[in-house]
This record gives sequence, C-alpha cells and structure tokens, in this order.
Amino acid sequence: MLDGTFSLTDHDGNAVTQASYRGRFMLIYFGFTHCRKVCPRSLACMTAALDALGDAAGRIVPLYITVDPERDTPEVMKSFLEENFPRFTGLTGSREAIDRAKASFRVFTRKGPDPEDAEGYAVPHTAFAYLLGPDGTYLTHFMDTADPAKMAGGLRDMLAKSAATA
Amino acid sequence: MAAPGEFRRNEPFDVERLPKLDADQVGHLRRIENLSLLLPDDWSGMQGKSSLQEDFGGLRFQLAYMSYALALTHRHRLPAAPGVFRKTFERLIEKMLSPDVWTYWHYVSTGNGPINAAQGELPAEWNPVVKDNIMYSAYLQSMALLYHYIFNDARYAEPGALTMELKPLYWGAGGKKFVYDERSLNDHLYWMMVEKGYLGIACEPNCVFQICNQVPILGFRFHDLVYGGTLAKEVTDGYLRAWSDFGIANERGHFNMMVQEIERNLIPTEAPWVDFWLGSLMHAWNPRFVEEHYPAQIARWGEPGPEGTLWVNEAPGIPASLGFTSARDFGWAAVCASEVGDAESLSKMLGYADRFLHRTWSGGGLHYRRHDESFDGEGLFSAMDPHTGNALLGYARLNVPGGLEKLYAEPWGEEHFREPALTNISDNADVLRARYERDAQSLVLTLSPRAGRDGRLRLELGNVWDRGGWSLAIDGEHVLSGGASGPGASAGAVAAKREGERLVLECSAAAPANFVMSFH
Repeated sequence: MLDGTFSLTDHDGNAVTQASYRGRFMLIYFGFTHCRKVCPRSLACMTAALDALGDAAGRIVPLYITVDPERDTPEVMKSFLEENFPRFTGLTGSREAIDRAKASFRVFTRKGPDPEDAEGYAVPHTAFAYLLGPDGTYLTHFMDTADPAKMAGGLRDMLAKSAATA
Repeated sequence: MAAPGEFRRNEPFDVERLPKLDADQVGHLRRIENLSLLLPDDWSGMQGKSSLQEDFGGLRFQLAYMSYALALTHRHRLPAAPGVFRKTFERLIEKMLSPDVWTYWHYVSTGNGPINAAQGELPAEWNPVVKDNIMYSAYLQSMALLYHYIFNDARYAEPGALTMELKPLYWGAGGKKFVYDERSLNDHLYWMMVEKGYLGIACEPNCVFQICNQVPILGFRFHDLVYGGTLAKEVTDGYLRAWSDFGIANERGHFNMMVQEIERNLIPTEAPWVDFWLGSLMHAWNPRFVEEHYPAQIARWGEPGPEGTLWVNEAPGIPASLGFTSARDFGWAAVCASEVGDAESLSKMLGYADRFLHRTWSGGGLHYRRHDESFDGEGLFSAMDPHTGNALLGYARLNVPGGLEKLYAEPWGEEHFREPALTNISDNADVLRARYERDAQSLVLTLSPRAGRDGRLRLELGNVWDRGGWSLAIDGEHVLSGGASGPGASAGAVAAKREGERLVLECSAAAPANFVMSFH
C-alpha cells in the first residue's frame, strides 16, 4: 500500500530517514512554503489538533516534507516553520530524494503557473496528513477537509489503540 | 388476520398489482445465464472481429456490464431473489479472471500507438492491474465489491480470491500469478487515484479516459457500503476539481473523451458512445449534470427510423479499414436513456433493435445476433456486435429510471438482508416476481417453468425461521403451513423440509404460478 519511507535532510541540516523517528508516531504532510492556502490551512489544522491532545502530542512527531526542494532549502523551511508552525520539523533534499519520498507516499504534485505571481510557480499537491506508527508502518491519513476536533479524535483513537496493543 | 394454517383464498393483497418481468426481460437474464454457463474459456457468442481484446466491446466489458445488469435487476425488480443472480454473477467474475480476458495487457502496456506515443515503447507488463489498465482492473474491483454488497457475501475478500494466473508450458519459467482480493485491489486503485490527483488512472498508457474512471468510483462506493468510509466522496470531489482544468463537457455540451496524461492534452472527440457511456455511469454520482446534457445529446445523435423508431449511428471517424463495425453507440444510447428515464427514446430504440438488429432467441435467451454490415440493402442501420447484443440492450431493458443512481445512492439497509428471500432455485424455472412485502409480511414469488425443462421445481428460501407462523399459498390456494422452526403438514402439492437455515420446497408447475408465503 504505502512504503512510507524517505531519506532527507531536516531543517537543522541533519540527515534523517523514517527510522530516525522510530518509537514515536509520525504525522507527515507534504507541501511547499510558498503555498498560500492549502498548506497554511492544513498546518494550522494539524497544529490545533496536536494542541488539543495536550501531553499526548509528545508521542507524535509532526513533519513537513517539501515538494518544492528547489526553493525550500533547510534554512527556508526552518524560518517558515519556526515563525508560523513551530511544532513542525521541515524536511527537504535533492529533487531525486523528494521524488522518491513522494512516490513512497503516493503523493501527487503538478508544477504550474502561480496565478498570483507571474514570476513564480505553484505546486498543487496531495493534501493528506499521513499518520505512521511507532514502527514506521502507515496507519491512516486525514483529508484536508478534516477539522481539528475530528483529527484530534482520530489521533487520540490511534494512540489508544497503540497503547492497548503495546 | 387468518389463524396459522387456516385456508386463505384471499391473499393480503393483490399480487397482480406488483410489477413482474416480461418475456423479453426474462430472455435477457437467460442469455446472461447461458453465457455464464459456458465452459471455461468457451466464448461462443461473445466474440466479434478480433481486435485482440483492444476494442470497447471486449470480453471484459461484456462480462462487467452483464454483471451490472444482474445487479440492477436484483436491486430494482427482483429484490427478494438473490438466488436467481448469485451463481451467474460468480461465474462472470470467474470468467473475468481468465487469461483470455486480461493478457491483452501484455502488449497494450507497451503503448506507442498513434495517440500515446509520448513515452515511446514501454516494457511489456503482465500484471493487468498493477499500473494503468483501469479498463480492466476497475471492472474486476467493482464487480467483486458489488457482489459483496448486493449478496452480503465476503467471498472475494478472502486472500487470493481475485488471482490472475498463467500456467504456460514452453515459456515464462513457472508462469505468472498475481494475487489480490477485493480489498487489496481496491486499496491499490485508490492510491493510484490519489497519486494521479484524482484526474483518473490511465487505460492504455498515457490515456486517461473519463468513462473508464467512472468504474472505480462505482467500486469505491460499493467498498464504502460494505466497509464504511468515504472513498467515493473523496474521489468524486477530487475528480471534479481535477477535470475542471479540462471540462467534463465541452462548450457544445458533449462529454470529453480523454486526456493525454503526460502532455495534459485534451483529445477533442465528440461521439455518441462517449456521451452515452459516460452519461450512463456518471449518472450514479452526478445525476443532475448528466440530465442537464442528455436532451441535447440524444437530439443530436438520435435519428428517426421507420415507424416511429429511433436509432443511433456508429461514431464518425472509426476507420472501416480496421474492420470495426459495432452498434455500441446505439447500445450505450439505449442504456443512457434507460438510466436518465427517457422512456420514449428507450422504447423507440428497443423497437428499432427488435425489428432491424437481428433479435434472436437461443436456449431460452434473448440477444441480438452479431452482424458485421453497417447498413442493409435499404440503407437501414443493421450492425450488431456481441457487447451490444449480449449486454447493453439487455441492460437497457432491465434497468429502471435512475437505476444505477439508486444502486449508488440509496443502498439497501441491513433489514433487507434479514428478510425472507429466494436463495436458490432449480434451473427449470424463471422468476418473474420476487418481493418481500413488508406491510403484508409476505414473500411473493411468481415462477414460470422453462420450456423443455421437465421436473419438479426446487426452491430454497432463507430468513424464514423465527418469524412466527406462516402459510404458503400457490395461486391463492393454501398448500402449506409452518412455524418458527420448521414446516408443518403439506396439503400434498408441495413437499417441504428444513435444511439448515433454509426451507426447501419441491413442487410441480405447468404454468406460471404465484407463490405467497405470509407470516402471521
């Protein structure tokens, strides 16, 4: 179904893979920092859902993987996330590494003109929040239509299931 | 209320007010059953001019739309008779797994045809569902999940239940085996759909057809009905967004056929088969949009025939040099008319087909015989292909207005699967009526003995126990009573016994007869 693998660089410059976060849940979202609507909305929703979990949110690592590595360097991602969505760690890499990660999560992207920036471009993309378990296996995903309460409920359920089977 | 076992000349309602299948509808069902009963890989009556299964009337399409026709008939016309349809449906799925049906993909997967040459020649692929080829994979997915939904039977959810296998003798080093079940196949198609941004999964490499991407949507809906979830809603929402770049329909109101995936280039084709095939399927989830466009489409493509009939010509541009002659434009127009509820056009088209398109009875079944000439000596359209003759015209005749829409949007509740029903019947009778009348607490069956099939009728009824006492009447004459756990004494005309959870009845019938089993 989903491999859920990646080999990228986090926004502090560290080489990371999915194994780097073993033992904690991963909440993974693909996007790009120039995204005006979809990413900010989704990142805000995920942030609110994690806030609603309280201490339990500490069991989840929120990751933001760019689909636009040409513009989203580690420095750009760190600045963007620390200012706007500090719960998240940004991941980037070479175009090839990003394409491998996208394929692993079956992420759709299509680079095209940005109607609000004639000099720039936009990258419409799959707007799923993927949840991977502590062993790195794909558990579920949340649509961008999910509201914070619904997502928090889903996350809470998954954490509880994990605790019950541990 | 009559006491248990009391003679009841007057049934609690007038059976004749309930609709029943007519002879032609029964004939279409019988044709589908007859084809399903052919020995494995005997495709007699289903073969057109060879296109190596490339054309849109290939075996997979016939098998799929025959199965849809069964489901629609069960859902709308004979809801209390799963036993009429179930085994036939299983045989159709079994035939879908035959290498004869799917090995075309080995060469079609190489692409490089006139409209999909962008990638050059690709490596040949044997697995018919792993990439592209939604024109096969989604039919298999939707058939299996539809079966699960309408028969409440998870047999295709078993690991390996949908396995495609080749066992060659002189090549292939052990053969090919591709193991799936309804869930793994559905998951695979879902994630491919996600990866494509919901625009759709290609049929031939680089060719994303709107029509063929309606089929996985149906499958996703049946998945949701069985397992819960909202895959169909997610995908249809995404589909509308993705196709807004191209338009589902063009500015003249005709549906767009396909997009070249790599070039993101719309192929501007206007053809009756595109309008009516897409309309027939999309009506399941986008009915008002289809109904908005249908009147102008039938007005453009429908042509008046003799004596008030209506016909639809073959799509322009099909090169005669390839030897493709078909009535599929006609067939899909009839299906679409049935789905949108255009009874007048449907009647006129079926009238034309009955007069001019080689209507044939064979083995008790009704079909329209293959005919490779497009026009007869008097200039009348006369082509007929096996897909239209076996599947599409039967589908059109068996469907009801909004039939696919209701199958999709108005699912049976759990109570349906708990109601008394005909779960099996011997092959010497046709079923013309099969309904459970909730208000009257009565199972109503009208059975008609098949010509040339002697012997006693054998019926198996399910969900009849633990409902209290009951009485059975045949044509208004009380013949049998029973209680919550078994049958009572018979009046002689009917032999009855309990076998497990089933009530088994055996009787003779020389003419159509109404069976009414009333619970007290």
